[in-house]
Amino acid sequence: MADAAFIEAFDDAVEGGLDWLDDHGGGVFDAIRHALAGVYDGVEWLLLAPPFWAVAALALVAGWRVVGWRFGGLAALGLGLCAAMGLWAETMETLALVVTAMVFALLVSLPLGVLAGYVPAVKRAAEPALDLIQTLPPYLYLLPAIALLGYGPATALAATCIVALPPALRLTALGIGRTPQEFIELGQANGIRPWQMFAKIRLPFAFASIMAGVNQSLMMAFGMVVIAGIVGSGGLGETIYGAIRTLDIATSVDASVAIVVLTIVLDRLTQGLADRGARA
Amino acid sequence: MSAMAASEVLIDCQSVWKVFGDNARAALRAIADRGLSKTEVLQEFSCVVGVSDASIQVRRGEIFCVMGLSGSGKSTLIRLLNRLIEPSSGRITVKGQDLSGLRGQALRDMRAKHIGMVFQSVALLPHRTVLENAAFGLEVQGVARARRLEVAREALARVGLSDWAGRLPRELSGGMQQRVGLARALAADPEIILMDEPFSALDPLIRRQLQDEFRSLTKELGKSAVFITHDLDEAIRIGDRIAIMRDGVIVQVGTAEEIVLNPADGYVADFVAGISRLHLIKAHSVMYEPAAWARARPEVDVGALPRTHPEADIDALIGMVVGSGQEGVAVVDGGRIVGVVTPRGLLQGVRGTAPADLSVV
Ligand SMILES: Nc1ncnc2c1ncn2[C@@H]1O[C@H](COP(=O)(O)OP(=O)(O)OP(=O)(O)O)[C@@H](O)[C@H]1O
Ligand SMILES: [Mg+2]
Repeated sequence: MADAAFIEAFDDAVEGGLDWLDDHGGGVFDAIRHALAGVYDGVEWLLLAPPFWAVAALALVAGWRVVGWRFGGLAALGLGLCAAMGLWAETMETLALVVTAMVFALLVSLPLGVLAGYVPAVKRAAEPALDLIQTLPPYLYLLPAIALLGYGPATALAATCIVALPPALRLTALGIGRTPQEFIELGQANGIRPWQMFAKIRLPFAFASIMAGVNQSLMMAFGMVVIAGIVGSGGLGETIYGAIRTLDIATSVDASVAIVVLTIVLDRLTQGLADRGARA
Repeated sequence: MSAMAASEVLIDCQSVWKVFGDNARAALRAIADRGLSKTEVLQEFSCVVGVSDASIQVRRGEIFCVMGLSGSGKSTLIRLLNRLIEPSSGRITVKGQDLSGLRGQALRDMRAKHIGMVFQSVALLPHRTVLENAAFGLEVQGVARARRLEVAREALARVGLSDWAGRLPRELSGGMQQRVGLARALAADPEIILMDEPFSALDPLIRRQLQDEFRSLTKELGKSAVFITHDLDEAIRIGDRIAIMRDGVIVQVGTAEEIVLNPADGYVADFVAGISRLHLIKAHSVMYEPAAWARARPEVDVGALPRTHPEADIDALIGMVVGSGQEGVAVVDGGRIVGVVTPRGLLQGVRGTAPADLSVV
């Protein structure tokens, strides 16, 4: 049974590796956990502090300004439904998770994407890693995260960040790297500085692509945040996970409806913002 | 003196080569050692010769046209003049400064303040208004917003687009967009303007209108221009002098009249074959020497012929000959008769050959 021995050795190695990381990088992981949880707590507090109708009213105004009055009304109605189902706190927790994860994911993916857009070597180096992230089943990221960050929102956030990285990074690199040659020449012929070339020429042309990436990342984050219910993320994901375990079909359907509402509202809002930015 | 100032050289290209490809250096050496042709270089080194041993001089106040078929290297040549492309060898000086010696800020200053460029593709930034596009050069230079918009507004007025300042480029027709491109170049107030086939994509009517506008604007503002075109009519209409390119080589440089009367080779001759001489060729090119003519035609009193000046074109001369019913027209310069134009001389002029043989007068 050489195989079993090999597998045992392999498992030991992985466990040993994680233990070693935990022992030696404990400070680092503590810091990561605190940063993630700290921002999350802040965002959650912000969202839960006002009454639900205030948030719904905000969605009404934002939806009306960005997309149209009909969408604004539906958004407010949808959020009202979430509150009526008794899932307001969970809905806002999920929103807080997504927002927090997106903040961290974009902090990494946007600068890296810009760099990859400028330097083809960086892009080539990042490509296989991004492919890997997008190929593996998303819940896989929960395992190392839970080993290092423990049960709770921090683990959900870390895994969500990773899953949300690739689209924004890819499409940012694509947009920045694909500025039409004639406009590069326009800049050069006018004696443009490198940062002006970025701000005045490359970025405006890349804007639509970058926003498409942000939107896709947001959708990935939503998917992951729900899956992360199994590691005690809180929010609608955990509600669904709990309801499935107790075969409470009604609650799981309610929570699913709330997720759909939240997803549609954020998707349309970011898409609307992207369209406006591209037009301006 | 003014004639001296007018002939001051602004752009000086000396034996400039541009070879595209990874083996450019080796290819260049082989060309120098073995005199390879463009096709041989392509086969042996898989390098493309874009510009081959080009020497041109553009003088202050001059509109210098570069004419040639597609792929003859016109765009490559004009991009060498503001160093969007580095030459493989040779020297380019602009306003007395060696371009290849300019680094960083010095090169940016040269491009921002002294050499403007108008593109065939126009390249208006789609997300900015016409006014903001026209102000782009000044914005890059860091001119304050109010000031640069004011200057851009003036430039738009010059090209007749004041009413369109607040529109987006896509709301304008092709000809109007091209005018915005010109206004953008003018707003930065460079002394030299490089134009790479700016009017090629436009229909003939609007094109002629823009050609005339461009010429008078350039002259009025005292700018110098290098103007690329693949259309000889356009080159003649706009240019003070014309350079003709083929396969990267400049085969002839001269005024339209010089080129039409003395094409350097069969290629140029083919080009000029279809060009109307009526407004191109002037009295001084088709006239006979007066003393010789008087000997050949002793019965005619040269002093009694109708008179004109040396710059009168063939069209005007034909009108005079037909209208007067006389043997010819006397050409007067500084109060003295310097030549005689006859119907025979005019016919030769229309064909583009200079009159030579007096025995058949
Ligand atoms: N970046 C480049 N790399 C390789 N070859 C090039 C490059 N740019 C131009 N060439 C080659 O140089 C030659 C001259 O091209 P150029 O664009 O200067 O021609 P052109 O006279 O402007 O033609 P057109 O009228 O079609 O614009 C062509 O054979 C072209 O293939
Ligand atoms: Mg060209």
